[in-house]
Amino acid sequence: MNRLLGSFGVLSALVGLLVLGGSVPARGEDGVTDKEVVLGAGLDLTGAVANWGVNIKGGMEAVFNRVNEAGGVHGRKIRLIAYDHVYQPPKAVTNAKRLVERDKVFAMMGHLGTPTTKAVKDYLEEKQVPNIFPATLASLWTTSGKWHIGDLATYVDQTWLMIDYLVKDRKIRKIASFYQDDEYGLDGHLGGKARLKHHDLTYVAEVDYKRADIDFSSQAAKLKESGAQAVILQAVYREPPRLAEQCHAIGYHPLFIGPSPIVLDKTIELGGKHVEGVIGVEVYPLPTEPGPFLDLYRADMKKYFPNLALDTTNLYGYQKAALFVEALQRNGRNLTRDSLLKSIESIKDWDPGWGLKYSYGGDSRRGMSRSARLVVVKDGKWTKLSDWMELQEGGRK
Amino acid sequence: MVEILTSQVVSGLATGCVYALIALGFVLIFKATDVVNFAQGEFVMVSGFISYTLLVWFGLPYWIVLFATIALSGLMGVGLERLVVRPIMDAPIFSIVIATIGASTVLRSFAGIIYGYDVLPLPTIFSKDPIHLGVLSFTAMDAGVIGFSLAIMLALYLFFKLTKTGMAMRATAQSQTAARLMGVSVTRIFSLTWAISAAVGGVAGVLIAPIIYLDPNLGFIGVKAFAGAILGGFGSIPGAIVGGMLLGVLENLSGYFFNAGIKQVSTYILLILVLVVRPSGLFGAAPVRKV
Repeated sequence: MNRLLGSFGVLSALVGLLVLGGSVPARGEDGVTDKEVVLGAGLDLTGAVANWGVNIKGGMEAVFNRVNEAGGVHGRKIRLIAYDHVYQPPKAVTNAKRLVERDKVFAMMGHLGTPTTKAVKDYLEEKQVPNIFPATLASLWTTSGKWHIGDLATYVDQTWLMIDYLVKDRKIRKIASFYQDDEYGLDGHLGGKARLKHHDLTYVAEVDYKRADIDFSSQAAKLKESGAQAVILQAVYREPPRLAEQCHAIGYHPLFIGPSPIVLDKTIELGGKHVEGVIGVEVYPLPTEPGPFLDLYRADMKKYFPNLALDTTNLYGYQKAALFVEALQRNGRNLTRDSLLKSIESIKDWDPGWGLKYSYGGDSRRGMSRSARLVVVKDGKWTKLSDWMELQEGGRK
Repeated sequence: MVEILTSQVVSGLATGCVYALIALGFVLIFKATDVVNFAQGEFVMVSGFISYTLLVWFGLPYWIVLFATIALSGLMGVGLERLVVRPIMDAPIFSIVIATIGASTVLRSFAGIIYGYDVLPLPTIFSKDPIHLGVLSFTAMDAGVIGFSLAIMLALYLFFKLTKTGMAMRATAQSQTAARLMGVSVTRIFSLTWAISAAVGGVAGVLIAPIIYLDPNLGFIGVKAFAGAILGGFGSIPGAIVGGMLLGVLENLSGYFFNAGIKQVSTYILLILVLVVRPSGLFGAAPVRKV
């Protein structure tokens, strides 16, 4: 008996040593080997904004597939592991832990959703995992320090653009805000409030809705009562068509205008005639425009994802991946998380071939922060309404 | 102001009718078999997709699609009863309930596999343009939903009251043993109950899908309808109807007078209030204690 206990003790000690030994952090970064670099992505693939998630994933993978076929970047292929968070923050946290601790990803790439990405923010910082080009244009990412780096103009910038357009170009002074009651909607909504103050105005109505809500008849009623001539929609793609339909059903026809998440074909598909005339903000060109970069995008999407229709959604993912590949190129063979961030920051005045330039450097945590233009739904298609504009520096107050 | 209020009430009644139909489905199965069918919401969702397939993929005319969907939903109900419930008939009720939860997950996943998780618009013949009748303001869609729902409820009422089969179902709900002794095939009645429940869910699906867009997660509307059934007194058919309609109107009004957050919880606040005052719901019978 004593002999048995004794051997058991030795065995446990051995196992203990092995476990301890194995958990000593290895030299070199997680997610980078000689042959590949592994990226993680938390996306909504089956939930309320699944259209964005599925397409962003497709766009990113189209670039990575092409690059991998040509041998990778500096001999390393890029592998993307994506998990579904259904646009729910708690799930996003579980997935992030899985990606970082079990899959040992090098960086989080294109994480979708403002509330969901905010939920994993502290965790990623604690683990020192870079949050590259998250699929959320909240202004939060521009002020969160070194581990977060964005790509395009924020919702606050976009809302400033919308308000200036309404007040100066359309001479509209009765403006209401319809916004998602979470970090996403609040970003643009509060930014807009500050901009209105600059014009000596306030919102005539501030009407919110809960993420994934499907009925807005009470919101429509309140908006109509306020007499708003224009309604700014801090929403995604299910809400604008539904809201427009319910407003029209009570005889109310305001001008609807919203930021980049509403600019996709799904909005038009769901809204039909009710979304004619809706204005959106674009922060990168339409997928149908000419140019070498967009030609490449169209060819890659056709080759790797022929079942995904060309849309702003997959172009969004595509440009993120292209930007990442450029950063990898500049980085060279010695790849660490710090060196990747430095390489991204070194990108200045880089035009991938569509006439707009990415510029990082200094405090700028987003590459194409100054470019935006207005588009409008005309005859069932998103059409150019204005030229590319330089945005002012926004920010929440 | 009054016009806006009436339009809120009418559209609330329309959603309420749909909740009522789904609640009816819950109560019918519960009364006959003591089982709470948590796949009821998914019946609604699947029928929405069936009508989508018939309308959009096959291009059939609307009225044919409507009746075909109801029929196919009924078949789905029978199928579920045979496949999932009948084999475990002798298990504790709770196990059967868990099995229906499992069935709901399976149905949702199949819908996701076949149609994807993206949201789909469902066309409808009822227009959503406003109609004004004096101080009343509503849409043809609202009227259509309310009208059709009431017609179905009336048809069911007449079926239970006047036909022999309806009477047999009521007998089985009261006492299976006595019904058997009177020559009623209880197993056949069970299948029929599931068929009717699913068909009623089918009507709900066809009516609500054009309003709120179609996607595999549409079944979660069942949770709201379930609350409506409890509100009205679980086990009472008029209770299910009144509970559902009340819920629909209350949601809209609370959203109008307060905000989106209150609207979401108004259902449950009302439920708690009613249950505190009347634990068996508005129309439910208080349990008789036999000493």
